Amino acid sequence: MALRATIRGRTYRFESIKEVLAKANPPKSGDALAGIAARDAVERVAARAVLSELTLAQLRQNPVVPYEEDELTRLVEDTLDDQAYRAVQDLTVGQLREWLLETGTTGARIRAISPGLTPEMAAAVCKLMSNMDLMVVGRKCEVVVRANNTLGLPGRMSSRLQPNHPTDDVEGILYSTREGLSYGCGDAVIGVNPATDTAESTAEILRALHDLMRRNGVPTQHCVLSHITVQMRALSELRSPMDLMFQSLAGSEKANTAFGISVGLVDEAYAMMRELATTRGPNRMYFETGQGSALSSDAHHGADQVTMEARCYGFARRYKPFLVNTVVGFIGPEYLETGSQITRAGLEDHFMGKLLGLPMGCDACFTYHSAMSQDELESLKVLLGAAGCAYLMSLPVGDDIMLNYQSTSFHDIPSVRGLLESRPTPEFDAWLEAAGIMRDGRPGPRFGDAEAIR
Amino acid sequence: MILEPLLPKVLSVRHIPAAHPALLRSYGADPERHVSLGLVTCDQDDPTYVALDEATKHAQVDVVFAKSFYAGAAHASGPLSGEILGVIAGADPDEVGEGLAALLRCLAHDACFYAANDAGTIAVFPHVITSLGHYLSKVAGLAPGSSMAYLVAPPIEFTVALDAALKAAAVEPAQIDPPPSATNFASAFLSGAQPDCEAAAMAFAAAVVDVARRPIRPTAY
Amino acid sequence: MSALSRTRELVAALRHELGAQDPLPPAPPLPKVEPPPVRVFPTRRTESRYAQAASAHTTALLGIGHVGTRYATDVVLQFQAELAVAHEAVGTELPDDWAARNGLLPLRTRVADHREFLLRPDLGRRLDDASLARLRSDARRGVDVQPILADGLSAVACMGSGLALLEAYTRELEARGLTVGTPMCAKFARVWLEDEIGEAVGAKVAAILLGERPGLGTGDGLSAYLVFGPRVGKTDGDRNMMSNIHARGTPPEQAGRRLAVLTRAMLDQGTSGVALDLANLAAELGEAAGTAYRAPQKRVRLVEVER
Repeated sequence: MALRATIRGRTYRFESIKEVLAKANPPKSGDALAGIAARDAVERVAARAVLSELTLAQLRQNPVVPYEEDELTRLVEDTLDDQAYRAVQDLTVGQLREWLLETGTTGARIRAISPGLTPEMAAAVCKLMSNMDLMVVGRKCEVVVRANNTLGLPGRMSSRLQPNHPTDDVEGILYSTREGLSYGCGDAVIGVNPATDTAESTAEILRALHDLMRRNGVPTQHCVLSHITVQMRALSELRSPMDLMFQSLAGSEKANTAFGISVGLVDEAYAMMRELATTRGPNRMYFETGQGSALSSDAHHGADQVTMEARCYGFARRYKPFLVNTVVGFIGPEYLETGSQITRAGLEDHFMGKLLGLPMGCDACFTYHSAMSQDELESLKVLLGAAGCAYLMSLPVGDDIMLNYQSTSFHDIPSVRGLLESRPTPEFDAWLEAAGIMRDGRPGPRFGDAEAIR
Repeated sequence: MILEPLLPKVLSVRHIPAAHPALLRSYGADPERHVSLGLVTCDQDDPTYVALDEATKHAQVDVVFAKSFYAGAAHASGPLSGEILGVIAGADPDEVGEGLAALLRCLAHDACFYAANDAGTIAVFPHVITSLGHYLSKVAGLAPGSSMAYLVAPPIEFTVALDAALKAAAVEPAQIDPPPSATNFASAFLSGAQPDCEAAAMAFAAAVVDVARRPIRPTAY
Repeated sequence: MSALSRTRELVAALRHELGAQDPLPPAPPLPKVEPPPVRVFPTRRTESRYAQAASAHTTALLGIGHVGTRYATDVVLQFQAELAVAHEAVGTELPDDWAARNGLLPLRTRVADHREFLLRPDLGRRLDDASLARLRSDARRGVDVQPILADGLSAVACMGSGLALLEAYTRELEARGLTVGTPMCAKFARVWLEDEIGEAVGAKVAAILLGERPGLGTGDGLSAYLVFGPRVGKTDGDRNMMSNIHARGTPPEQAGRRLAVLTRAMLDQGTSGVALDLANLAAELGEAAGTAYRAPQKRVRLVEVER
């Protein structure tokens, strides 16, 4: 295998497929931090040229973390759909890009081959695509899932309501929740990141949200995003109502160890949810990911952050989740420094997740020490909506008073829906109309009136 | 809209695979050589003459009959009559079918009158035939394969415009028919190299538009 | 125009030359202009009953109303002012002499400047040679707990309530009979710096107290990260953390108590991070952290315009 390309008489050689994948990436501060980025734009193009000629079979044979060393690699390899794989194995990455973009390649056809793709394949084709390529294909991939309502239908865009509070004050959480619902937010999930990681406070918040949803007949899901072991205790020992179970995922066994999880542990949690969850299902899990998390625990195995991100999706798809979102700008400027890097990463993650069959949402966000402006962030939300992103977040003025970062606001959700003429999930849509919050998909008489929610 | 195509409307197309010898003879065909007839009526006569000529280039057919009706399409004898009846004849019915197809293609995509004023009430036909077939070449007395400008307009417009056309390029009048024709228009055939025919035809069209815009000139009269 | 017809091409060109362009679709009728009402702008709507009620429980900006689906102008200005405050907090550097002036052992990481601090966390996790030498010569060794105050992502927070938190935590530790290391402060520091420092002084538990990423309108939040058996190579899963230590979250006094409870548990169980069992401490931690919101808080109004 000659990993070589010549541009204007100069020949570029690469030692491994892993190096080709890394150097084919658009510029990201995280890849520079890891010391694996292309030296300059020409070397980057050379890497892409080499990548475009690799076959999917070669990518399967060369995972970025060896089979023997990593349970995620083993998981992907051992559960790959052979029939789907055989249909695409001889394609080059360049041909896969073109096939995905063809008019005749519908979402249904992509879904048919998706179980035969490894994360490395999704990451590879991502690197050959422009932002608009990523949006065009991302839009085709419709992934429809169901818990208490139905997420991911065409013409629909949902939102997670994120009523976080610095001290987990339940009343404060409920005030934010009521206001968010009155703006039509929260059809993906009402999900709280707790400040205190105990089963008791997890259960207390879950109970309060459960009661509010019942009181008002809100057709949605709830979730408290504590560590998975904490949620398992809240569910199995405290018998807390729990619609979705959450966990952050990373792209290697070593990185997941740093998160305190393993395939075995998530398997156990998944089995527990199938037995005890308070949702109708069949989709009951919620995962968050984000480029750079593997490197942040020095568990990237010399691979780039886009490829490591794709490997999270290879992990997530085992559990047929109801929600998966990248928290794209949360990790900080050492991994994604600027607005253009964050924008690119959001579109990449959405594309790769959808390609691998996940109901992909995105927390379009920045931390206050990254170089992204509020205007750039608003643009990203519209781009994601146009790309068919399943859901965005929603907070009061986009400000997370607990995690201290800037995300999507209660006002942004109806604004993006208005711009793109999209609606919430059908069940939630009907509830909003009945509550007078929306009228025929436009703001209704009780829009923004939190007192409409008890 | 000035110089917008006024598309000819084909009103009837019929094919008689084996016509009666008496019919053949009375429409100018030769029963020795001709068996099959193709008939067409259309609401524009000059485009149809061009289209009939076009048919002779694509199939083994002769144009045996082509006549304009008096006073034009606005005074037709019936809704299918239009302004002209054209008849092609051939020994092989398939050849006649081919000829009719070429004729209809020409009427749909090529030969047509154009509006010389915004209301579309003044029509001009500034057509360039790049290569004559054996029908119009005989009518005009030119060699088959040569270029020709086929120019038609109402009486006053035609007269001013023909002068402009003759002065615009190295063209020779092959035939000039002053008004009135059967349809009360006037027409001329000019011959020359293709670029000259084109220049003459466009000068003709421009002059018709000019007359349509300023029919009374100078205004001192 | 069809390429089939030379004449049509010529006529189209002539038409262009004569100034008559290709026809456009007919213009749609113009919308009817409604006469303006007597007053265009409605009354002020951003200080609602809901905002008043919610402010007793949360600092989230609630009850702010909407214009269409967007914010009212005064909300936009408040938001932008808060954003500017956050960006200012991030941009502030800890003065080089601040630690010494406050009686703390001054340390510095391998980071050269502020942008490098943001982009190279690896350099912020290791002391420069001079600091490591100073640590080895001046710091008390073999202690139970080594607290480290640091700038992190907000020097403003470090200089604000950093000393109060350090003092409260030290007092609570000593009250539990634990030995506490030399007070010290590190510049351009990341969380994992506690591993090297804790290892160098031979502490059983290292606790770094550092400015957290500023939030909207706030640059004064501190976080604490605790690790048992500190040494280079520990990961996030080995740590316990507490965030939002500031007046509107968990005040420094309370935080110091809760962190001491956590430290005690680490020493008792000989571990930290996800392996640490907090089940039996829930009540104590809850009490220490305070599960209820203390005093009604109002978000500070940042923009006042004279009319």
